[in-house]
Amino acid sequence: MRRVVVTGLGMVTPLACGVDETWTRLLAGQSGAGLIQRFDAERVTTKYACEVPLGDGSDGTFNADDWMAPKDRRKVDDFILYGMAAADQAVKDSGWTPENLESQERTGVMIGSGIGGLSTIADTAVLLQERGPRRVSPFFIPSALINLVSGQVSIRYGFKGPNHAAVTACSTGAHAIGDAARMIALDDADVMLAGGAESPICEIGVAGFNASKALSSKWADDPTKASRPYDADRDGFVMGEGAGVVVLEEYEHAKARGAKIYAEILGYGMSGDAYHITAPASDGNGGERSMRAALKRAGLEPGDVDYINAHGTSTMADTIELGAVERMMGNAAAKATMSSTKSATGHLLGAAGAIEAIFSILAIRDQVAPPTINLDNPEVEPVLNLAPHEAQPREINVALSNSFGFGGTNASLVMGKV
Amino acid sequence: MAQQDRIVVTGMGAVTPLASGVQATWDRLIAEQSGVGPNTRFDTTDFACKIAGLVPGAEAPDGFDPDRVLSAKEQRKSDLFIHYAIAAVDEALTQAGWHPETAEEKARTATIMATGVGGFPAITNAVHTVDARGPRRLSPFTVPGFLPNLATGQISIRYGFTGPSGAPTTACAASAQSIGDAVRMIRAGEADIAVCGGAEACVDPVAIGGFSAAKALSTRNDDPPAASRPFDQGNDGFVLSEGAAALVIEAESHAAARGAQVLAVIAGYGTSTDAYHVTAGHPDGAQAQVSMRRALAMAGLAPGEVGYVNAHSTSTPVGDAAELAALGAVFGGAAGQVALSATKSATGHMLGAAGAVEAIFSILALRDGVLPPSLNIETPMEGAARFDLIANTAVRRQVDHVLSNAFGFGGVNASLILSRA
Repeated sequence: MRRVVVTGLGMVTPLACGVDETWTRLLAGQSGAGLIQRFDAERVTTKYACEVPLGDGSDGTFNADDWMAPKDRRKVDDFILYGMAAADQAVKDSGWTPENLESQERTGVMIGSGIGGLSTIADTAVLLQERGPRRVSPFFIPSALINLVSGQVSIRYGFKGPNHAAVTACSTGAHAIGDAARMIALDDADVMLAGGAESPICEIGVAGFNASKALSSKWADDPTKASRPYDADRDGFVMGEGAGVVVLEEYEHAKARGAKIYAEILGYGMSGDAYHITAPASDGNGGERSMRAALKRAGLEPGDVDYINAHGTSTMADTIELGAVERMMGNAAAKATMSSTKSATGHLLGAAGAIEAIFSILAIRDQVAPPTINLDNPEVEPVLNLAPHEAQPREINVALSNSFGFGGTNASLVMGKV
Repeated sequence: MAQQDRIVVTGMGAVTPLASGVQATWDRLIAEQSGVGPNTRFDTTDFACKIAGLVPGAEAPDGFDPDRVLSAKEQRKSDLFIHYAIAAVDEALTQAGWHPETAEEKARTATIMATGVGGFPAITNAVHTVDARGPRRLSPFTVPGFLPNLATGQISIRYGFTGPSGAPTTACAASAQSIGDAVRMIRAGEADIAVCGGAEACVDPVAIGGFSAAKALSTRNDDPPAASRPFDQGNDGFVLSEGAAALVIEAESHAAARGAQVLAVIAGYGTSTDAYHVTAGHPDGAQAQVSMRRALAMAGLAPGEVGYVNAHSTSTPVGDAAELAALGAVFGGAAGQVALSATKSATGHMLGAAGAVEAIFSILALRDGVLPPSLNIETPMEGAARFDLIANTAVRRQVDHVLSNAFGFGGVNASLILSRA
């Protein structure tokens, strides 16, 4: 099968808008968490989240005007807006703006979302009840449909190849990148924009995840401490928002146009727990099989992995993943580094796998493992180095990124230096 | 899988507005019956559109009885689209005879059930609960209800399928893409066998109100069975309907090794994007042509070798005309020999389940040598007449290859070629 490389990156995260701005803050050990400002959180249990910093666009803030005209923005939910911003950054970074029809037809888009237009759907349900069906906007359906990130991106750039939206809850971003890489490998496209976008921070989103007992709620006095994967005092994940998009490209195609190549997608593994709709199986077998499948596809041994970007969401499931990774790594576990960047970004649900793939790629580029912040007191003594508090410079040739989702769906990506 | 291994279909299941079950649906389809009726799901007094394609309930002949597939407790914890999905998958797995026992077999089974819009009804219900009783009264099953991938999740749990899973959510092309994704996974060696398809159950105030606001729905409220009329000059929008369809597909060598009966071959799959408008298709269907040509190329077929086209057309004036333009360009002089119908005339538009149910109709046409009709054709649209339009009455004719199209909001196009085994 054909080789697939990464030639462009883009992201909007609770740390910052932009790849470099986010990465700098991540390495500095900053947190994107704070008290909820998107809506009045009076009625919900959890009062904090990781929100994208809004502003005039300077100093890493997100200025919606920079990414979509106001009249177009009113026709889309925020998850589409974030997805468009991340896609725009990635396209510019890659320099891939094909003008001829044949190249456009060989360029596709696969940007997913875990939930899609949650707040738009909720607002419309209220509007409909209060003011009747004839007040519903003609743009409601396309503003809320999950595949309309891919649709809007394809329209903006004229990308006429495969158009798709993988949706697998919290592993959406990783599945999108893996599925898109497979399309290139199987010659269905030469270039794919892939990733995920999410904007779940609204009353119904927070209330719903509270009802599932999934969210942290006891750190309202200092939200920056709330996301603390592996720590004994963790009490659930912190909801985040944003988007991550990568440009994937067939290797020879990238070389021929002299593109900057960040890394290669070496392997992609998937599995299903077939166990429970929200809880992972306690033996971590599903995650282990997905990691092994990705390494097998890459033709690598566990000992070849230098850095693991964990799924670790700051819930009870953290130690299940930790156990699965250490079991898979065997004797090599002691020399590998694993961190959960959700400690800083919170959990971006369907965008998480995409931004974490980007962090893994940057870890390879800069030879540094980003930290797991707030890891004061690990619940179990890890064999792996969990990079507590501070980024750790080290040799990183191969990185593995895990994403696991509700429904028992698992995805692992293996990325390496070209 | 071996290099030249074909991908074959060995099981099918369906829950549609015509009936529950593949054979019962097909019998009604070729008997020219319609699944469209008054929308009795909620009070439509204030709504412009008062019709829908609802799955007949347990009281109806060949209706859907959730008790046959789920306990009362399981029904309460999951949404209607998941009930439909499980019934369709159950039927497909039974026909395929695929009940894996070993961990290896389960790990090599993929689950890919699509949906078009995902958790609209669950989100709406949650909003009403929060409004009426406060956020703390939400059930712990609320969030799983928001998630489009939970049909896939529930199915993998029910049958113990631990292989790859996915849930394309690409509006009206979703389940055609789920079949295409499953083909790719098997071709890439990531699974040996897959259960794929789609499910949808969003006939609720928000979806009807939303699609109505987008001017997409028919308002022929006085004659519901006549409302869905693709290719007829009197078309005025689609009819929102619901249901599920599932296929079991596998590498031919895998089917042969276990002695499974092959129903059809998935000979081609193509996909492309309009990159034109969020809801309207490109008027000349330029990229729909690309999707069809890619599917034909993968199948190694010339357009003239296709005997029957199961069209995407949903009964919207703009969309039907665009597909006819695209079909005309692809088939050119061969159009007169190619049979054409749009079975949404009978089922309404099942959104994320449409592509899969239409793939099943295509396979049944190959199996039985019967081409299902396009109902409600009184005055064919320009562009339809150049094809052999199967108007109003099924036609007995054996064909070898069928093309099935599925296009969606966002400009996504997918085409499948199904061939006789």
